[in-house]
Parts: sequence; C-alpha cells; structure tokens
Amino acid sequence: MSTREIITCKRTGDTCVYVKHKSGLDILIREMPGFSSVYALFGTKYGSINTTFKLAADKEYTEVPNGIAHFLEHKLFENEDCGVFELFARTGAQCNAYTSFDKTCYLFSCTKNYTENLRILLDFVQKPYFTKENVDKEQGIIGQEIRMTNDNPEWRVLFNMLRCMYHAHPVQIDIAGTEESIAKIDADLLYKCYDTFYNLNNMTLSIAGNISVDEVLAICDEMLRPCADKGLETVFPDEPADIVQAEIREKQPVGASIFQMGYKCAPCKENFFKKEMTATLAMSYISDASSDMYLKLLSEGIINNTFGGEIFAGDGFFSAIFSGESESPEKVRDAIAAEVRRIIAEGIDERVFSRIKKALYGGYVRQLNNVTAFASIMINAHMAGCKPFDPVDIVSELTAADALEFIRNELTEDKIVLSVIEKM
Amino acid sequence: MDHKRTELGENIGFTSFADKKFNTCFLCVYMITEMNKETVSDYAVANSITSTVNSRIRTIAAMNEQLSELYGAHLDSYANRRGDMQFLTLSGSWLSNRFAIEGEDITEKMLEIITDCLFEPLFDEDIFKLSKKNILDCIDAEFNDKREYTLKKARSIAFKGEPAENSSCGTRESAEAVTTDSAREAYKRLMETAQIEIMYVSPDDDPRVAELFRERFARVERRSKAYSFYAPSPLKPSPELLTEEFDVRQAKIALNFKYDSSDTDAMHLMCIILGGTPVSKLFMNVREKLSLCYYCACRMNEFKNTVVVDCGVEKANIEKAETEIIRQLDEIKNGNITDEELQSALLALENSYSSFGDTPGSYVSWYFDCICKNRYITPIEHMEELFAVTKERIVEAAKTVKLDSTYRMLNKEAE
Repeated sequence: MSTREIITCKRTGDTCVYVKHKSGLDILIREMPGFSSVYALFGTKYGSINTTFKLAADKEYTEVPNGIAHFLEHKLFENEDCGVFELFARTGAQCNAYTSFDKTCYLFSCTKNYTENLRILLDFVQKPYFTKENVDKEQGIIGQEIRMTNDNPEWRVLFNMLRCMYHAHPVQIDIAGTEESIAKIDADLLYKCYDTFYNLNNMTLSIAGNISVDEVLAICDEMLRPCADKGLETVFPDEPADIVQAEIREKQPVGASIFQMGYKCAPCKENFFKKEMTATLAMSYISDASSDMYLKLLSEGIINNTFGGEIFAGDGFFSAIFSGESESPEKVRDAIAAEVRRIIAEGIDERVFSRIKKALYGGYVRQLNNVTAFASIMINAHMAGCKPFDPVDIVSELTAADALEFIRNELTEDKIVLSVIEKM
Repeated sequence: MDHKRTELGENIGFTSFADKKFNTCFLCVYMITEMNKETVSDYAVANSITSTVNSRIRTIAAMNEQLSELYGAHLDSYANRRGDMQFLTLSGSWLSNRFAIEGEDITEKMLEIITDCLFEPLFDEDIFKLSKKNILDCIDAEFNDKREYTLKKARSIAFKGEPAENSSCGTRESAEAVTTDSAREAYKRLMETAQIEIMYVSPDDDPRVAELFRERFARVERRSKAYSFYAPSPLKPSPELLTEEFDVRQAKIALNFKYDSSDTDAMHLMCIILGGTPVSKLFMNVREKLSLCYYCACRMNEFKNTVVVDCGVEKANIEKAETEIIRQLDEIKNGNITDEELQSALLALENSYSSFGDTPGSYVSWYFDCICKNRYITPIEHMEELFAVTKERIVEAAKTVKLDSTYRMLNKEAE
C-alpha cells in the first residue's frame, strides 16, 4: 500500500507531494501549472564513494574498483535490443545521467509524451544488460572522459585538495576512477553492484513540471517491480579529524592560476540542511563582497570577481571551500584565516547577517520557479534526509549565534588545505 | 504570455513579456556594435564598469549591500559576439515584489539601479583598474577550458582577417592598452551609436519600465544605425591546418566547414543529424561504434555560414577521427539519412522549442535571436517550417559543405 503526503512551504505556500510507493521507491512530485516542460530524475544512493558494501545476507564486505558506479551509469544506457538514447529519440525527449560522489541519477526533460518517457526511464533503469563486449567497448569512451576531466584545472584543484584533506574517505577518489581501475571492471562486478544498489528501497524518483500526480503514480504502479529491502550497508574507513597535508601545488597548462582553500569540518550525521545552511551563511558572511577583507584583496589584485565560497558535503564528508583565480593564493588563505579569527573575537554584525540572510532567502525562492532546478532540489533534499522546502523555512530561523558557533567550532586553522593549480 | 515590442527612439527597441507564473523579473539591455579589434577591449572594459558601480552607488561595497538587501538581486554584464558584431549586455534579475518579506518595492529599486548604471556610469580610476583586471583575467582564463580554447582557435583560423576572428573581450594586448579615457569615450560612443535592444520579463505588465527608458534615452544624442549580423565567410582556397602542442592529456580537434546554401532550415537539421544529439551520426559512430572519444559534436554558425565539429581524442587517433567525421558528413551528402534520423532530429528540436517560456532567459534569448536574424517568428512558427524540410533539401544543403580549416591541440606526452 502506497502512502501520500503533501509538503508545503510555510513561507511561499508552494507544495509538492511525497509518496512512499508500495514497491519501496520514494517518489516526489510537483505539478507546476503554466510550465511546458517536465524534468524527471530516477536516482539511487550510489556514487563514487560507495566502494565497500554488503547486504544483510552477505558475510563479508565487497570491495569494488574505483569508478564502477560511474561505469555502471554508462552501461545502463544499453538495453538488450537497442540503446536507451534511441528510445528517447523516438519521443524527442532529452535524456542523460550523472554520477556524483553519493548518487547516480538518470533523467529526461521533455515537453511532450512525458508519460511515455517516464515509462522508458523506469523501465531501462530496472533492466540492466551487461556483456563482455559492451563493457570492453566502454573502456575507450570512459578512458577519454577521464583524460578530459584530468585536463580540467577546476577538477584537478578539487581532487588535489580532497586528497590532502582526507586520509581514507573515498571522496578523494576521482568519480570516474582511473584508466587502470576501470580496466578491472567486468560484467559480473557490474551486476553485483547493480543488484546491491539499484534496489527501489535505495532509490528516489523526482518529477516536476507539466504533469499530473495521479498520472505519474499510475505509471509507477504499472512499471515498478516490488523489491524486498535487502538490508544494504555501506561502510567507510575510519577518517581521522585532521588533514593529510596543508598545501598542494600542481603546474598545469593554464592561463590563469586557480585555487581552492578548504576547511575540513566534521561530517553531518543529522539535520543536514541546517548544518549546510548555517555553513553557507557563515561563508557568505566571511566572503561578503562588502567586507573589508574582500575589498582589500580585490583592490590589491589578489582576487578577482571569480572569488566565492561553497559547501561541499555528503555521506561522511563536509568541507567549506573558498575558491577563485589568484596568483597569490597563500595571501587569500592567510586573509581568510585572519578574518575568521577577527569574527570569533568580535562577533557577528547582526545588520550584515540579516542582509546576507535576505539574499540567501531570495536565491532559494527563485529556484522554486524553475522546473529543472526544483526537480533536482527534491531528489537532493530527499536523499540527504530532508524536505525540499526546508531551505526556505530554515533560513529564516537561523541566527547570527548559529553562524558564529559554526565558525568557532569548524573553521580551525589546523584543518585548512590550500590547493593550487599554477601556470607552467 | 503577452509579448510586445515598441521603438523607444532611434534604433532602440523595447520588448516586454508578462508571464504570471514567474516569481522573478529579468531585464537585459543589449548594445550592439561592429566588432573591431581597435575597440573591442575598450567596449568590454567599459561595459564591465556598468555592472559594478554607478554615479549614485559609488563603491563596490555599497552596491553589494544594496543588491543583497534586495533579496540577492543580480546585476551582471558581459561582452559577446555574433557574426561580425560585438554585443555588450547589462542585465539584472530580482525577486518579484510579492515575495518581499518586508514589503519593499524591489522592482522600483532595481530599475533605478540599472538605469543609473546604464546612463550614469562611474568611470572612477579605482573601479576602472578593477574592471580592466577582470577583463584581462577573463582573457587569460580562456585557456583554462581546453574545449572552449579549441573552439576559439578554430574560429580564429576560420575567420582570419574578418571581424569575427576577434574574441569577445579582445586580446591581452588590446585590453592592456585600454585607459580610463578610452573606456569612457568608448562608452559614450556606444550609447550614441549602438543598436539598443531592451528586454524585460516579469509576472505582470508594467508600462512604467518602457517609459523610464524612453525618458532616459531621450537625453542621449543618438546617431545610430541598425546592423546586419549576417557576414558570410569565404571558403579558403585549400583547407588550412593550425596545430599547437601543450602538456595536456587529451588531444582535441575542431574542423571548420563552410557552406554555400541559403536553406538555413535544412542546414540546421543537417547539423542535428550529423552531431546534435546522442543518436546523431557522429555520436553513434565516432563515439559508440569506434570508441574514439567521449564527445564529438557539431554546431552551426548561420551568421558566418559555418559548421564546426569538435572532438576530444587520443593523439594517435586524430586522423582516424577526422576521417570518420568527414565520412559521416559524406553519408549525408550521399543521401544516407534514415527516416528515424530525420524524425528524431525534428522531435529533438520540437522538444527544445516547446520549452520556450519556461525560464525568463528563454524569452530573451529567443527574441534576441530574432533581432539578429531580423526576422520575428515564434518557436511554433519556426517549428512548422522545420517540419516542412525534406530529406532532399538536407542533402542539397549538405552538398555545399566543404572543409575550410582544422585546429589540432596535441598532447606532448603522447610522443
């Protein structure tokens, strides 16, 4: 028996529907009158960090090669009869997929035939077809993808930083793995991972736009094959609180040197959005474009308008990262560390904090008005154990004391890593 | 959705779109001028200043405070190019008044800020230095993205000697040469001579916006003209090759083709069939069948009668990939287009066109495109024209496509 709940945003009155489907799948649906398009994501809580796992019936943990979640994502696009792209091409929908650190999502966007597209999506993700031939063929394609991302300085600067930040947590591993690690992947391993993680009890469907809740649920009833919850357990190696090393520099053929400076924070076990938003507010306060620190760095030519901050967090990892282009990134690091010390000593200016909160609120409300953004918000929130409208409601409740507590407890100087990609 | 375009003055268009489903407002001012290597960086730097401060809000700190008080409103500027034209934009987006917790009139404040930025920019020495540095950094950073750099170099050989060979912000040398005076002069000239197009998207029709711009532009001495974006590029007598070598892990190639066909709709479909979707000939053959690459795609520049195909590939496989790209193009020239290929290209376009109106930006980009083409048409009307294209027309258009030049980025370590 499926259960249904309407989720409402207290502040704006927007709503969406959450359904716990009888098959085990969690479903989030938002009808958006007036919009033409539909965006759907069918995702599993399985990303590059899930390299060690077992089911309740297994005695031992299984360890798999790095990059296998991403490889599986590529291979799921091949059916026994034809490619999935061809099925969507017949309806005109755009389809794609992505693998992140902690999830893999298959998606389509369309303006017509959404019911047919939803059937295709739900069908192909539940129907793996891996053979030696199609696995071998993919090695070359993914090998080129790995080379392409290794030439991307933004990618390199992030992973170099993560390798210096984390001793053991697999977040430091490149999502696509390496050419060596993917060479170890075969059809049997893919089936093992598929059977473990592509269980509907570990998955979520998110769909928004020009749709009807009842139509979506009728298709789910028709297409979803009930799954027994097999007691999936993923584990991560113990991760010390300290960092591996404080600085890393790599020379690359770039026109502008770039940096990422991250604070390693304690991973979040509950109230994920609250911690993420507190951290976001704290970072916005530190890097506020009206602050003396920002204006000094800007006027001295140490940073430019690419400077900014973001929270990078997931299962077992949480960091606050400042990034941008700079030829003197160590000066940025020192300035931010000094600013953090100043804030801890002097406290937070309530007037500035209130202004930053307003800006953050405005940003969240805008996203409610975008089909693609909102479907993504629904799946991300749900997989993080939160509700889609939580950001809008939580932001109005956060206080300067919350932000100060985060800064004092989490932004400590012994947890800073500076990663730089320098011009050759 | 209501859509109307009015002339506010000499070559000043104002187009507004009222769409109740939006919770935001979006305003974009396009200033269109000829691309010229002597002025391209002056215009880019001057335009960058307009989104930073104005004569009333004179510091970056004050501007940022105002924008964040207005619920994180955005103010942005960028330089771009199309055909042989450069266009500069100043844009703003903000939350609709009905979401203002404290009842502020966000729209009125933002209109005031944007018009002050546009009509009363502040060419202060410190702000000038920052804006110039941002443009210089932007030019330097073009090399960070190797795919974009490959396409930029491909353009530079395809359009050698034409205005379109210039980048949107110019070169490091031309940007270094910009002074406060040259930027100020350039901005004055831009306001007087550029073709101006203003686009405004909001939940409700608001006649005061057009009036505000009409009144402010009435004080500018205009001596402008309407520009044509179409500037066909001649095919080189024989294909040229430009090769560069860097310490990269993956080689990249971009093949420039030029065509001699006025059947733009047929050429558009030709490009989709060749390399515009995951079932296109390039994707299915260069990537899926031969496993040579992760991406191999095709795009069309109708203002310069050019089609470019780009691909990231092993150095050892470059010739194999280039041969296959040309072989797939020849397939189309020889009429080897299946009904499924044509149908899926049309459906993909229909899908894309039908989502028009789902974001404020989609209204603006569609109608700016109409202005560039000097042809006002709705997405539905254009779709009807595309559905009338036959396989024979696509083949005829494809037959005029010839290789003009190639850019290859090679990786040193593969030697």
